[in-house]
Amino acid sequence: MMPPSNSRGTATDTAQRPQGAKPGRVRRLHLPQKLRNLELFLLLIACGINAASVVLVQLGALGRIDTTLVLLGAGLSVLVLCLHVVLRVVARDADPFILPIASLLNGIGIAMIYRIDIANNDAGWESAAVRQTVWSALAIACGIAVVLVIRNHRVLFRYTYVAGFIAVVLLLLPLVPGLGREVSGARVWIGIGSFATFQPGEIAKIALAVFFAGYLVRNRDSLSMVGKRLLGMRFPRLRDLGPILVVWALSMSVIIFQRDLGTALLYFGLFLVMLYVATGRLSWVLLGMTLFLGGALIASQTLQYVNGRFTNWLDALNPDVYGASGGSYQLVQGLFGLAKGGLIGTGLGQGRPDITPVPQSDYIIASLGEELGLAGLFAILALYLLFVARGFRIGFAGNDDFGKLLGVGLSFVVALQCFIVIGGVTRVIPLTGLTTPFLAAGGSSLVANWIIAALLLRLSDTLRNQPRLVV
Amino acid sequence: MSVSELTLLVLRLGFLLMLWLFIFGIVYALRSDLFGQRVRKQQQDAAASAPPIAFAAAVPTPVPAATLPPAGASATALTEQLTGRPAAPPARSGPERATATNATRLVITSGPKSGTEFPLTSDSVTIGRSGDSSLVIRDDYTSTHHARLMLWNEEWMIQDLDSTNGTFLNGSRLAVPTPVPLNTPVKIGATSFELRR
Repeated sequence: MMPPSNSRGTATDTAQRPQGAKPGRVRRLHLPQKLRNLELFLLLIACGINAASVVLVQLGALGRIDTTLVLLGAGLSVLVLCLHVVLRVVARDADPFILPIASLLNGIGIAMIYRIDIANNDAGWESAAVRQTVWSALAIACGIAVVLVIRNHRVLFRYTYVAGFIAVVLLLLPLVPGLGREVSGARVWIGIGSFATFQPGEIAKIALAVFFAGYLVRNRDSLSMVGKRLLGMRFPRLRDLGPILVVWALSMSVIIFQRDLGTALLYFGLFLVMLYVATGRLSWVLLGMTLFLGGALIASQTLQYVNGRFTNWLDALNPDVYGASGGSYQLVQGLFGLAKGGLIGTGLGQGRPDITPVPQSDYIIASLGEELGLAGLFAILALYLLFVARGFRIGFAGNDDFGKLLGVGLSFVVALQCFIVIGGVTRVIPLTGLTTPFLAAGGSSLVANWIIAALLLRLSDTLRNQPRLVV
Repeated sequence: MSVSELTLLVLRLGFLLMLWLFIFGIVYALRSDLFGQRVRKQQQDAAASAPPIAFAAAVPTPVPAATLPPAGASATALTEQLTGRPAAPPARSGPERATATNATRLVITSGPKSGTEFPLTSDSVTIGRSGDSSLVIRDDYTSTHHARLMLWNEEWMIQDLDSTNGTFLNGSRLAVPTPVPLNTPVKIGATSFELRR
């Protein structure tokens, strides 16, 4: 059932490890954990910036420093330091940049959500910032569990088809009557009672990345080696189009039944990129983009909500569209906010981001852009860039095909999600509801992204933990 | 207590500055990734540099590098010498290819660390100046990610990762992923190695 290149790796991995890792183990007893110390240093700076952002929000919005929310900042710092300590024990060679970057983004997100809470006079359990902190705790606990339980990412290779099954079940859950919830048109939530709503699609993207990686490692030869050459590119045979058509049908059904354009684009883009990385053939990308654009065009003509999104995007500043119900009011308010921010922003706590609808989740980028300005927004984009670049680096340097594909897939899904959300808010592409990774208010997104971070940490540790020789 | 406008302005500029310092701190820590690993100065004799593979025999080493024939000897002669049985006709089949079952180690045959061995597992072996390569070669001639040894259908292949100075299999520069025969020198920068049983 396993392809030749990986069968030995999985079967004899434990047997070969002690022999191969021996020189490394001995060396590590004498050397300090350089990578972990660098991580701790960066983590302390990140926690400092997080605390500073909360204090600045209070100074700007309240004019005084309040001790209630110090708890929130401290809580997050304690949690990420816990994860750091766990890494010191079980993943000494993990990448030192992922954790500080994720903590900083999470902390800035909490500060911004807290700022919106102040504007809305929310406190206690009503406060989205308190809930976001609790969700962060849960998410980081999930991350710790992933690092502890999955000691070698190749374990996931065995569960390729299980992961695919889980992904499909998670995608279908919101459609189950009684369990699914419809929030502002999109049916992507599940809820038990009136409490605890969750967006299973966020977790599904991780399961899909695992499934695609395992599937493509097993089957890429038939997808890349054969086919006719046309216009200098090798196009696949008709019978090999099965997988791409299945994923296409899946994302089209997400557009039609769950009414969620962004999620569909996310899944399909993930599959396309992993297919391209696995086969190295541009024809797949062309084929896939033609399929998706064709599907999206048909959807924009036939489905009311997709059509509305396109109108809002192309004709946003038209007073009729602006004033219409479900029109471009939110989009244009976000743009006004960004314009008000200018180069250095109004300062944390001193803008009016709360005028835009849902400023703490979908529009958190517009809120941050207003209060931190272009300089701050670019800093946040640079943080994402570094995060994704680390992921690609891990994928690039990996020495097993499954790990490579998984690393690329997981980090690309973060990049694509950023592009879809931030592109939507800044009117580069039609606006679709997705969460900004780590920043936006929303528990499912936080849990999913911290699991992605944990998996990348695990991948990078396995990568550096191989036998090596320095000449 | 209220805070003056000026204090707030200073604080918010300070916050942006801190954010960017954090980013540049990370970029500084990543500099070897972005600009390539620093070249380590090697001993003077190595600086005379890149001894041709044939001279490997002259280097006293614990491994049987001395079994290497002088320059110009054909690879078939090499197989004959090592396996003790006559090699196949030189026309089609060259020396035995290294497979997952018959190659167990990678032996450095020339360069500053000649004689060192490296165990082969089923994983691919990345070679380059970068710190996370499996075989790190830090000299002036090696690229950050130089080449990769990998198993294709149970057979060891070497692939040049578009390196500046090239990877040489038995003296000829690689253009495409090529199967590696056993006991055949692969040269990268000033270092050459072989796959052995």
